[in-house]
Amino acid sequence: MDPSAGARKERPKAREAPARLEKARQRSAQQELKQRQRAEIYALNRVMTELEQQQFDSFCRQMQGGGQ
Amino acid sequence: PFFVNRGGLPVDEPTWERMWRHVGRIHPEGERGAQRVRGAADLPQIPIPSVPVFQPSTPIPERLEAVQRYIRELQYNHTGTQFFEIKKSRPLTGLMDLAKEMTKEALPIKCLEAVILGIYLTNNMTTLDRFPISFKTHFSGNYFRHIVLGVNFGGRYGALGISRREELMYKAPVFRTLSELIFDFEEAYRRCWHTLKKVKLGHCVSHDPHSVEQIEWKRSILDLDKLTREDFRKELERHARDMRLKIGKGTGPPSPTKDRKKDVSSPQRGQASPHRRNSRGDRRPSGEKKPADSKAMPDLNGYQIRV
Repeated sequence: MDPSAGARKERPKAREAPARLEKARQRSAQQELKQRQRAEIYALNRVMTELEQQQFDSFCRQMQGGGQ
Repeated sequence: PFFVNRGGLPVDEPTWERMWRHVGRIHPEGERGAQRVRGAADLPQIPIPSVPVFQPSTPIPERLEAVQRYIRELQYNHTGTQFFEIKKSRPLTGLMDLAKEMTKEALPIKCLEAVILGIYLTNNMTTLDRFPISFKTHFSGNYFRHIVLGVNFGGRYGALGISRREELMYKAPVFRTLSELIFDFEEAYRRCWHTLKKVKLGHCVSHDPHSVEQIEWKRSILDLDKLTREDFRKELERHARDMRLKIGKGTGPPSPTKDRKKDVSSPQRGQASPHRRNSRGDRRPSGEKKPADSKAMPDLNGYQIRV
């Protein structure tokens, strides 16, 4: 067998491993970002839900106070 | 303004920044209100809700309750940015893929997303009919739009959905007619000072999650300003009859009425296109401004009761 053929076979495999690792790293980073965003979104939603409820309650009190 | 995330998840930086800028503008504490959350180190981890699964013996009404609990657990989205882009003209299969993504990503949603999710979570309930119900209401000089997923099980009508207002979402399937269901919504609107102006009823949605059909969102358009109470009720019941008879495109004539019009007194608009300027995703909650009506409302810094 031609010894260089074995070397040629090794090179593509050697290139694939770092590319796979990089993809896995990117996926992991993306997943972490999603988790962080999700936590912030729900924390923000809690603040905004409370704000909306306060405003609605206040409005209802005004309407009822107006005799409607 | 009302923003839509069109770039998928995770949210891209421009959309993320826009969300926080918007919060900074509308929160009474301005940027400070936003900064308490943004970048905070100790935010609670919100568990991802489990999609309900059912034993074959579980009765449909119980399944609907579980589906509604799941939708509710995602929470109504008050952030001002919608996280999932819904193109109403997409084939059902595409919308179901989106629904699956919603269950995976588990973020707060608004009414249209809840309808898509409701369809997805009830596809295996083949004895349950589902059809979209859209509302247009008027409050303090502005118009508001809302949508729920009507359901019919064994001749009893109900609804699934999500709203800022508790009374404008879930309805147990106990209403004997479609009119009763719609009148119940109308009364719920009245209790939060909204006047119902238009109701749009869609046709039954296929249970096949791989269907390439589009959802028919507005098979009947009912303008309450142009209908007597009795005509309104009759049109609702005609729509109900059409659904019962499964009268669809090319499957037979709709129920006869004296003057058969699919769209009663309102010119029918085309379906929402994803690139239309006033698509649901981009429309302001206080959509079309009309001249101020004569009824005076308390001015709570311009607070609008949105639904």
